[in-house]
Amino acid sequence: MTMKLDRRSFIKSAAATSAIATAASLFPGISFAGWEKLEDAAGMITWHKAPCRFCGTGCGVLVGVSGERAVAVKGDPNCSVNKGLCCVKGYHSVQALYGKDRITRAKVRKNGEMVEVPITEALDLIAAKMKETISSHGKDSVAVYGSGQWTIPDGYVASKLFKGCIGTNNVEANARLCMASAVTGFMTSFGIDEPMGCYEDIEHANVFVTWGNNMAEMHPVLFSRMLAARKRNGDVEIIDFATRTTRTSQAADKSILFKPQTDLAVANAICHEIIRNNWVNRDFVNKHVSFRKGLTNIGYGVEDHFQFQDKPEGINFAEFETFLKDYTPERVEKISGVSARDIRYLASLYGDPKKKVTSFWCMGMNQHTRGTWINNLVYNIHLLVGKISTPGNSPFSLTGQPSACGTVREVGTLTHKLPHGVVMNEHDRQMAAEIWNVPVENIDPKPTYHTVEMFRALDRGDIRFIWIQVTNPMVTMPKLKRYRDGALKEDRFIVVSDVYPTPTTDVADVILPAAMWIEQEGMFGNSERRTQHFDEIVPPPGEAMSDTWQLIEVARRLGYEKQFPWSRDEYIGKIWEEYRRFHDSPKHNMAPYEVLRARPGVQWPFVNGRETRWRFNPKYDPACTSGEDFHFYGHKDNRAWIWARPYEPAAESPDQEYNFWLNTGRVVEHWHTGSMTRRVPVLHNAMPSSYVEINPDDAAELGVVNGDMVKIISRRGEVAMPASINGRGVPPRGMVFVPFFDESYLINEVTLDAFCPISKQPDYKKCAVRLEKA
Amino acid sequence: MKKAETKIGRLGIGFAAICLLGAAALSAGAAPDIPHGFDWDGEKIFNRYNETPLSAMTGNDGTRNLNSFYGLRQYPGSPPRIPHAIPPAFADEPYNCISCHGRGGYVAELQAYAPVTPHPENEACFQCHVPRRAEELFVETDWQSINPPALGRSQLGGSPPTIPHPLQLREDCIACHAGPAAVAEIRVEHASRGNCRQCHVPLIVTEPVKEFAR
Ligand code: SF4
Repeated sequence: MTMKLDRRSFIKSAAATSAIATAASLFPGISFAGWEKLEDAAGMITWHKAPCRFCGTGCGVLVGVSGERAVAVKGDPNCSVNKGLCCVKGYHSVQALYGKDRITRAKVRKNGEMVEVPITEALDLIAAKMKETISSHGKDSVAVYGSGQWTIPDGYVASKLFKGCIGTNNVEANARLCMASAVTGFMTSFGIDEPMGCYEDIEHANVFVTWGNNMAEMHPVLFSRMLAARKRNGDVEIIDFATRTTRTSQAADKSILFKPQTDLAVANAICHEIIRNNWVNRDFVNKHVSFRKGLTNIGYGVEDHFQFQDKPEGINFAEFETFLKDYTPERVEKISGVSARDIRYLASLYGDPKKKVTSFWCMGMNQHTRGTWINNLVYNIHLLVGKISTPGNSPFSLTGQPSACGTVREVGTLTHKLPHGVVMNEHDRQMAAEIWNVPVENIDPKPTYHTVEMFRALDRGDIRFIWIQVTNPMVTMPKLKRYRDGALKEDRFIVVSDVYPTPTTDVADVILPAAMWIEQEGMFGNSERRTQHFDEIVPPPGEAMSDTWQLIEVARRLGYEKQFPWSRDEYIGKIWEEYRRFHDSPKHNMAPYEVLRARPGVQWPFVNGRETRWRFNPKYDPACTSGEDFHFYGHKDNRAWIWARPYEPAAESPDQEYNFWLNTGRVVEHWHTGSMTRRVPVLHNAMPSSYVEINPDDAAELGVVNGDMVKIISRRGEVAMPASINGRGVPPRGMVFVPFFDESYLINEVTLDAFCPISKQPDYKKCAVRLEKA
Repeated sequence: MKKAETKIGRLGIGFAAICLLGAAALSAGAAPDIPHGFDWDGEKIFNRYNETPLSAMTGNDGTRNLNSFYGLRQYPGSPPRIPHAIPPAFADEPYNCISCHGRGGYVAELQAYAPVTPHPENEACFQCHVPRRAEELFVETDWQSINPPALGRSQLGGSPPTIPHPLQLREDCIACHAGPAAVAEIRVEHASRGNCRQCHVPLIVTEPVKEFAR
């Protein structure tokens, strides 16, 4: 007796109801899927290159188009990032364009109700409201809050309009929440932003240490590139250094768990051991490194108007060594829970002159109240042993968003930044004023608000008008309730440009329909200094227009036609060529527009027609002029800086009453707040809702089993959600983990708005909660 | 399979030695001391990936196909019966099964590659898998089942097909979907990527499709 394969006897199942599905099962090997067929589709597809819409890996994709619809995706074999491969999000990314609730018309609030209006009416209203707000409350009462998913032209025109024309530094982007500590880490250690290495490091390294970085889910294509390198080269080890056990731990050769926040102590202990064992690369350190210390006990920024300015002070090697005396492996074992043996083991990997070591990190180190410090400390390790700026030796700060580097870090869409340099610097202001064609006095030399403080200012009423583009702060702001209540106050005017309804469009007074991704021309910039151009591949729906063009329309209504003169069929190319003037030096040169159009991404500095793969190394980097084997030209002393940075505890740690750590993050299926990926059927079905991961022993103590509702309560708020035991990841005892993609379980009601005093980036990985069976 | 069923009776214990790879524990590889059994035992994929030579992931003899595969099952997902004869001495020695089905490899006597089990940690093989010792039924049955999942369940032309079956006891993708014994129609060419579920996510055909709504 076997399973009957006679079709008449099949019980009708969901999969068997269509003739196609039945035929497919009778003719195995033939692919029939259940999607709806395009009418009149001849079955012909044309392929167009683009960077993936989602993570900062920046895979090149080829989008298949039939008629005016995107119908398929494949990895771009010409793109060196992913060499023809994607992850599940990339492969299904075009489906995110076609959610049924796509915003295609503008809406404005009239008598409390959102009503559809022609987009010109909405743009008129925005301009009028901005003028009115500026005249009654001053220029610093209007703000724009953008995104690491802004295209480069989006961010550029936003900065030009607000900083150059209106004259307010109220320009921030959500990358403050994900990359600010990486930036301040680079600026303090090297004096210049963005990684010195590139993804090719993966093929050269013998050791990978992932610092609080679950790459198997967050940077999947780089992760499988790493696995493939290990398989091919043999002599490769992957060390997962984390606060919770994940898919990355499963694939790693060794997994080391540390207590939240104590990465600071462990990094110092590694340096301690490197020095004690004489593994320091003396020649490198003497020639290329100088030593600094800064202020300590620097606070957490939980109070309004918090200010902090570090005071760097030069120290010498001996003083650095003395500073490290507190960080013996035995002592750090007590703080961190990492055994002295494992600490020595880590140090020996970095210290072994025969091994090439690449460290990867992302949100674990950046969303950290000492985020700048921990970035510094990992650079310290690499600098002490001279493992940097050569293939395979790479301290590598990864990004989470497709253009956090391109649009926020390079264009400088942060309150203190300009496309080149900072507002505080007169020369930088002059350069900007000249390129922007505005009087230099327009550009205010004083930064205003970083993101958290910007939303506090909205709550206080210092900011009355805010325009939010391509991001969803009403899901992602920590200590969410305060900022939602602030946004809902009388006399606050909120404009939101987006593609789908979200909790942020829920608080809007005007909603603008935005073109998404390949419905507009633009550029992204990924983690390895790669700028990636894409064309308008399919038309935007309804009245949707690019964020760039929305800003230009409003700028013209405010009287800045002269600064925004471009026509709609060539504005992206013109904007790119204007922007490129800011980076006209071998340290930062960007590729010309035509080159970007032709290639699946070009790395900067792009000098004399060549991309720079490893910076600070004269073999690869034409900006090196010192004649030495390395040239760290970012700082004036032409050296990289090692920083003495102590371990300091988290802003809030578990205590008697709130006895668990809360950690938040992502899953492979969903990207950020899920406003796009949840509208991709396969991704939603694979991960339909969020959950709280609990250690099995803690769950048993609480008396909860998989799927039971659990209340997570902090001093800020509470949320009840289903328990996940031995699900995607396993936190250690005393910690819970929650993915933040699901707007029906707003975990940020619970989180704390403490941030790194140097970078102003909040810590989403650590606060204290207690649990109750709901 | 007739040939196999007659031949294997004479094989005896010598069978194990012929297999390409021995019965070494499959738990080597992934980071030691981490919790086990989470994420649908996701570590199995990585362990299998680590210990399987690239060549063993890519060969294919093409003899197993979906017809013979479902021919051994009562419904999609049922434990397959054992298609070859079993020496009586095997009965209380599960590792005799694992010696070939743990890692696969060529079995000269059967002129076939042994399929690899995705759950070698379950050692009481005969608890679920039984041989057929009689051809005739006791009484005829009116048993029916559902269609096996259609192939190529891509959401878009060319996108990675979803996983149509539950992952329970089928956590180790590489075991069934790669290598010479893999069923021809469901064999993948790119097992060398290692992290299978970064592209292929479950969309269980026997479960209702969930619609996203705010
Ligand atoms: S790894 Fe990131 S960039 Fe690459 S396909 Fe996946 S989501 Fe897109």
